[in-house]
Amino acid sequence: MPEPLIARSALRAHVAPASAPGSAPGARLREVQDVLVATVAAFKGREDELAAAVRERYGLDLPAGPVRAAAGASAFIGAGPGKWLFVSSDPSADPSGLPAAVVDQSDGRTTLSLSGPAAREILSTLVSIDLHPRAFGPGAAAATHASGVAVHLWQVDDAPTYEIAVFRSYAATLWRWIAHAGAARGIDAAL
Amino acid sequence: MSQSHRLPAGGLVDRAKRLSFSFDGKTLEGHAGDTLASALVANGVKLVGRSFKYHRPRGLVSAGAEEPNGLVELRTGARREPNVKATTAELYDGLTAQSQNRWPSLAFDLMAVNQLAAPMFTAGFYYKTFMWPAAFWEKLYEPLIRRAAGLGSLSGEADPDEYEKATVHCDVLVIGSGPAGLAAALAAGRSGARVVLAEEDFALGGRLLAERLTVGGVPAAQWAAQAEAELAALPDVTLLKRTAVFGVYDDGVYGAIEKVADHLPVPAPHQPRQRYWRIVAKRTVLAAGAIERPIAFGNNDRPGVMAAGAVRSYLNRFGAAPGRRAVVFANNDDAARTVADLAAAGCEVAAVVDARGDATALQAAAKAAGATLLFGGQVVEALGRGAVAGARIASAKGGTLDVPCDLIAVSGGWNPSVQLSSHHGARPRWDDRLAAFLPGQAPAGMAVAGAASGAFGLAQCLAEGAQAGRAAAEAAGFSGGGFDRPDVEPEPEEVYGAGPWRVSGSKAKAFVDFQNDVSVKDVELAAREGFVSVEHLKRYTTLGMATDQGKTGNVLGLAIMAEVTGRTIPQTGSTLARSPFAPVALGALGGAHRGKEYRPTRLPPSHFFAEEQGAVFVETGQWMRAAYFPQAGEKDWFESMVREVTTVRTKVGVYDASTLGKIDVQGPDAGAFLDRVYTSAFSKMPVGKARYGLALREDGFVLDDGTIARLAEGHYYLTTSTAHAAQMMRHLEFCRQWLFPELDVHLASITDQWAKYAIAGPRARDVVAALVDEGNDVSNEGLPFLGVKELTVCGGVKARLFRLSFSGELAYELAVPARYGDAMIRAIVKAGEPFGICPYGAEALAVMRIEKGHAAGPEINGQTTAGDLGMTGLLSTKKDFVGRTLATRDGLVDPNRPTLVGLRPVDRTARLRAGAHLVKRGVQPVAANDEGYVTSAAYSPSNGHWIALALLSRGPERMGEIVRVFDPVRDGDVECEVVSPCFVDPEGARLRA
Repeated sequence: MPEPLIARSALRAHVAPASAPGSAPGARLREVQDVLVATVAAFKGREDELAAAVRERYGLDLPAGPVRAAAGASAFIGAGPGKWLFVSSDPSADPSGLPAAVVDQSDGRTTLSLSGPAAREILSTLVSIDLHPRAFGPGAAAATHASGVAVHLWQVDDAPTYEIAVFRSYAATLWRWIAHAGAARGIDAAL
Repeated sequence: MSQSHRLPAGGLVDRAKRLSFSFDGKTLEGHAGDTLASALVANGVKLVGRSFKYHRPRGLVSAGAEEPNGLVELRTGARREPNVKATTAELYDGLTAQSQNRWPSLAFDLMAVNQLAAPMFTAGFYYKTFMWPAAFWEKLYEPLIRRAAGLGSLSGEADPDEYEKATVHCDVLVIGSGPAGLAAALAAGRSGARVVLAEEDFALGGRLLAERLTVGGVPAAQWAAQAEAELAALPDVTLLKRTAVFGVYDDGVYGAIEKVADHLPVPAPHQPRQRYWRIVAKRTVLAAGAIERPIAFGNNDRPGVMAAGAVRSYLNRFGAAPGRRAVVFANNDDAARTVADLAAAGCEVAAVVDARGDATALQAAAKAAGATLLFGGQVVEALGRGAVAGARIASAKGGTLDVPCDLIAVSGGWNPSVQLSSHHGARPRWDDRLAAFLPGQAPAGMAVAGAASGAFGLAQCLAEGAQAGRAAAEAAGFSGGGFDRPDVEPEPEEVYGAGPWRVSGSKAKAFVDFQNDVSVKDVELAAREGFVSVEHLKRYTTLGMATDQGKTGNVLGLAIMAEVTGRTIPQTGSTLARSPFAPVALGALGGAHRGKEYRPTRLPPSHFFAEEQGAVFVETGQWMRAAYFPQAGEKDWFESMVREVTTVRTKVGVYDASTLGKIDVQGPDAGAFLDRVYTSAFSKMPVGKARYGLALREDGFVLDDGTIARLAEGHYYLTTSTAHAAQMMRHLEFCRQWLFPELDVHLASITDQWAKYAIAGPRARDVVAALVDEGNDVSNEGLPFLGVKELTVCGGVKARLFRLSFSGELAYELAVPARYGDAMIRAIVKAGEPFGICPYGAEALAVMRIEKGHAAGPEINGQTTAGDLGMTGLLSTKKDFVGRTLATRDGLVDPNRPTLVGLRPVDRTARLRAGAHLVKRGVQPVAANDEGYVTSAAYSPSNGHWIALALLSRGPERMGEIVRVFDPVRDGDVECEVVSPCFVDPEGARLRA
């Protein structure tokens, strides 16, 4: 029998180096570990069925538009007409039984969390959408790009905390770019 | 004497703070708040550079960003930067600057003999002098011109500093922080709108810092400081100092450069030196002010000839006197301030020359200053060799007199800075009353206010700015902003006469464009030679084509052309300003993305394993792939490749195939959808099977190939080539959303979700069998060729196992969730050890696919049809599919089209190279006889000689023919036999073993 396989993050210190600020950090960069991620797309004519199933299973209404709707450990984030990104820190929240096209992306995406007073300014060096509180607050979400890397990001709280889902193979690059932009702004980046 | 020309008091410099700097090796002193230019003025330095063509001595003309003369090399070593304007370089302690374009020294410049050869350097001299012989251009003329004409030089070392790009969104962007800009920002900011105020200078205030005016009962500079304090306290106002807006783009997007650390000797750790801003604004107020224009008279480029407004800047803002005895030469009332300010600063005003004779305020000022006044007189020539020593003045009645002086302050009127308003193509319009170009149709969302719109007076600037700021905020949905116009002193009635533009009566050169050394004579010559259109004038004389983009000289040149050709200025036309308004360093455009971070690097799941194995990597698009895994004793890629291929063909190897694009297709209509986008049918393919698929573009050419596997009734899994992954995803989404919206199907990219390893070779099944969990049958019966299974490996990890082969061997593709990818390849290698497994890289993979004759990137190159690739059989005749109709066009089914074949050298030792062309034996190897070319070539370890794939006209009909493979670029000329493209196991027995 071969040995059991060990799960590993896409990030390692030599491609995603840590960064420690001298004083109080302006922002904090971490990988969000052990999250379930899936794309969920409604089949034609079964949108209501899906909405009802989500309501029953997760206790939330599927959001319309680029919005994150969360309840407990699980959230649905608008990803396009009739499409959502499901994210949950509850390992038992597997959405594969929903009446929809569900594709597991738990390994396909790496989710980074960037938090703190300098987070918005750091992101503005990579992301060109408007992140000002008047335009983008907690619950807001966007599928955009960070200097050419496709990202799906949403704001969690007023810290502000952003979570950024990126294709796994790009995760180290995005980490370095965020850490680099954060270096002058006191980023605390650690795996 | 230190700071010999610093006034005893006044100015906005911090006299308590002394800064030491060096200019051309001489140590000097200035104050905090100085620019390099003002510090040079304070030290009595007149000569700051040599001119471009004639190496004439030059001094400062302006005190701002329009400066054409005072260009220096700043800093030393790797941070040396050429062509820095001394007028915008903020002084810091330890600043080092060198003058440019002089050899061997600034004071004694041997190249100044160019003046003697001046006839050679007239307008169009490039075209006239360096016509022939053509061979002389590269070897003689160009080096000569470059040596003679260089404007500063680069360090030749890598730039050690960092740059950054950033985006800011706002309701109102205000460009410029003079009275109009500050009023606009206050009016908009007080409404609660998000305001960005961009100012090129390091201090806000514009002309408020340079004039002895009061606003609201306090000195103008103090009022500006109060305005700044209020703006800084508003939470949604962003003040961007040292930031030049250089371009206006679509939809309210503006480009700007912030010089974050240019005023520091070395940027702070991690601090970018410059930041490239992308400003997205709902509304914009352009309050860029105006630039004073010169008057062309003899030797008007002598150090000591300065714009009258610049004189006031140096006196009032910097407390430095550009001269001790001045002649003021102007055609307008505005220069009256210069007369008064010079007198107030204790400088002598020797003469005031009122060029038009009707500037009443000028006359009054002259009287007050006790200066000789000359109505309708003109300065004919500046006297003095290295610097101004006097002015030769012609009186209106005819006679001339020479007045000793060390400063000639000149005002030919003001040009509104309309450049940014014309970035969308609207030409500025000439206004006769103001004798100036005013903005034409400004870009959508932009309003122009203050001097930039021709409102030169302070009261007008404040009023227009406030109005524009309020209107901009309201248009962006904000109201309630207010700005009560502060009281200002009465100002002279503006008289901005058109001309005189040039003064005759001197044999000396009179300059129009200082930076490019374009003189009045050049403009006159252009007119004589028929280059009367402004666009021709510009290109023929190079007027306005220097780094200052003609900010001081363009209108003057145009006006002289109008005069010479007897036309009005509007009839003569105007040139269009284009982006960038201010020079932009390439480093800033790149931002943080340079070197290895120029673009993202994608790491496949086996990357860290491959690193540990000492693999050599190759970049494939954004992917970092292992090219080969050298072992001890192997001296190059070739030896490693041969071993890896041989191992796969005789034992077993493992390759990371995760970089192939992977797409999940789900929905009741998934099969129908695939039938439409691929050339063959997939809706009838049984669950648990996979097949090769070919997709065409709508124009009938091949787009990509890949494999399609059916995992369940409405669930498919398809792969694309690595190179075309993103393109295929776009194409499929286009088909789904636009061509076939009626189909109920969903796509998801799962390229990154699954780590996928190709396990290939005669012992592949042994390796796979050792990995799959109990109860999974991977025998030839349990999982035949083209079979697919979802199962578990290594104790419960879900996996997908595909019996597919790219190498031509017995092979499997084993996919596991990417988090297990690193452990999986290690487990595969461990399980394969008893069977002699080796990891193999992209080199071995590429060789094996050529050995098997599989079309890949070089063949699927956007110019080939299914027929060209020998795949006509894959074009279903029973259904429609994307590209089907256009694939039947005559040109695409022409039997003469080059078609895929294999080539085997007659001389088995001969080397083949991709790119070589094919001709018949015995014909001339010329384009007319071209019959195709080699697309891919490799040394085949399995055959023991070089082989190639090629596209050959009527190829399949010519099996056995000997063709000539001609490669003149690399001296290749080889005879080859046309053979089947499959060089290994043509029956495919190994695949099915």
